[in-house]
Amino acid sequence: MEITVRPHVLLLGLTVGVALADSSVVTLALPRILADYDVAIGTLAWVLTSYNLGLALTAVPAAFVARRRPSMVFGVSIVVFSAASLACAFAPSIWVLIGARAVQGMAGAGVVCAALDLLSQATGGDAPAARVWALSGIIGAAFGPAAGGILTQLLGWQSIFLVQAPVMGIALLALRGATAVPVEEPAGRPHVAANLALLLVSGALVASSFLLVILLINGWRLQPLEAGLVVTLMPLAAIVAARTGGRITPLSARAASGAILIAGGSAALGWLPHAGARWTIAPQIAIGTGLGLALSALTERALAGRSAQAVRGGWTIAARHAGIVLGLVLLTPLFTADLERNEDDALSAGAAVVLESEIPPLQKIGVARDILVAVEKAQEDAMVPDVSDSIDHQDDNAYRELASDLQKQLNRAVTNAFSRSFLVAAALGLLALAPIFVGRRDVTV
Amino acid sequence: MRALAWSAGASALLVAVYLALGGASYAPASVADPCAPRDWSEPRGVNEVGEQIVLSALDGAACRIGVSREDIVLAFEDQDSLEAFGREHGVTEAELERLARTGLERAVTDAKNAGALSPRLANLIRGVVGRIPPGLLIGLLDRVPDLVFPDS
Repeated sequence: MEITVRPHVLLLGLTVGVALADSSVVTLALPRILADYDVAIGTLAWVLTSYNLGLALTAVPAAFVARRRPSMVFGVSIVVFSAASLACAFAPSIWVLIGARAVQGMAGAGVVCAALDLLSQATGGDAPAARVWALSGIIGAAFGPAAGGILTQLLGWQSIFLVQAPVMGIALLALRGATAVPVEEPAGRPHVAANLALLLVSGALVASSFLLVILLINGWRLQPLEAGLVVTLMPLAAIVAARTGGRITPLSARAASGAILIAGGSAALGWLPHAGARWTIAPQIAIGTGLGLALSALTERALAGRSAQAVRGGWTIAARHAGIVLGLVLLTPLFTADLERNEDDALSAGAAVVLESEIPPLQKIGVARDILVAVEKAQEDAMVPDVSDSIDHQDDNAYRELASDLQKQLNRAVTNAFSRSFLVAAALGLLALAPIFVGRRDVTV
Repeated sequence: MRALAWSAGASALLVAVYLALGGASYAPASVADPCAPRDWSEPRGVNEVGEQIVLSALDGAACRIGVSREDIVLAFEDQDSLEAFGREHGVTEAELERLARTGLERAVTDAKNAGALSPRLANLIRGVVGRIPPGLLIGLLDRVPDLVFPDS
């Protein structure tokens, strides 16, 4: 069925996209935020977690209110979201930023749930509204990191939030002439299996949405803009899959195919044979395709039923963002521990490279100490150092070879540090197959 | 069901290709066992003889402590890291003295066996190592990089 693309629909889709992009939009800005506020990585992770937690916890209550007064909830949420965005941009401390992000998440829940009801009116039916809503969410979530990276590099991380406020403000125009009708029917029960699968799939996607960009920027030293462009592959694949995957029936087959592709792509990222952005291309296409198939199918299934559309939407949003929180809680400590372990291994391997190198023996300890200083300096910036900057005599072949060998060891170490996290993400993707198949007959339309 | 088979096949193929290219072993190179004998390369000049003796001595000490020689080199970064190393591995000054003596003796033997030192010179050095006062021997190991690589 063709959906008439009207300004109302576009604006509502835009708000859903922005609100859901916000769960991952600051990923590429994290190193800059870390440098500005000088905090521990564990504290920094709350900039991501607080938004997703706020969204997950508020989505269902917001949906219950939105089904009665969708226009009011939408308008108030947009205003609060914009104000919280400005608070994020001008946050004087990390805790204000984290608090404002939580408020943003709660307001985002109101925006997304109310938009679903308003979309039903704007598109003339629940089914087309659900498709616009799901596609907007996929585009937003998938493009979030890339958009954040581009803005961070061009205008600074604060610009991410400064841009959101007016964009969301414009969306208030969607309320002009809106004829949302309060839903009086009972809220009904959520589709547990579909929402559980959404939770697990979203948890799996944390690795490719968050960790991959950290690997590209902090590990392989790509600029945020370059990393943003690299990770654009995933949303492109997701959009193509979401648009074309509708032909795959039944829904459980589409969802399962998506979950398998997410697991396969994540496992490939866990077993990267070399460092370098080009090795992420095939896994990204697999994950992006999986994302498009799984999220569209599971959202469609979760939204099916006799209860109010906004309430069903609330449950899917709660499930998705609870999954992101689960992924962050599971993967952050694992990744941090692996990074520390690999740092020790990298230093030992680097010392071995220096001791066994062809440079004059009298220079070896000096070079080793210069590199240790460079590694410590880079740790302060949460980056892997470029060792060629620390080694003089680059005109000498032996020194060039040493620099190259050392960089290879560092690349191996940092890439390997992400391995287990990607593999755990792959396991979450496979785990999602259980509720997908268990709930495959449990669809009430 | 065709979509399921296609996605499972594509995922399996992707993972298999990455594993075949060495994805499971893409990690920092593991360091050599300090207890295993190393080949002595043909030294080119006195600096390289000195270097190989130091490396061999490091191997000897590392083998006794149960760490790699690279761990010992990293421990010599500064006094803090040296003290942390001592605490972590329970190495006292007396233990360090014994390890330094054993390591240097082994290194001299390795150098002699490799033909880098004449038997007479090797015996002379071994005698000196055996007679150095304990404090000086510990200091010698502590300052090995500076003594052998004075430009560092």
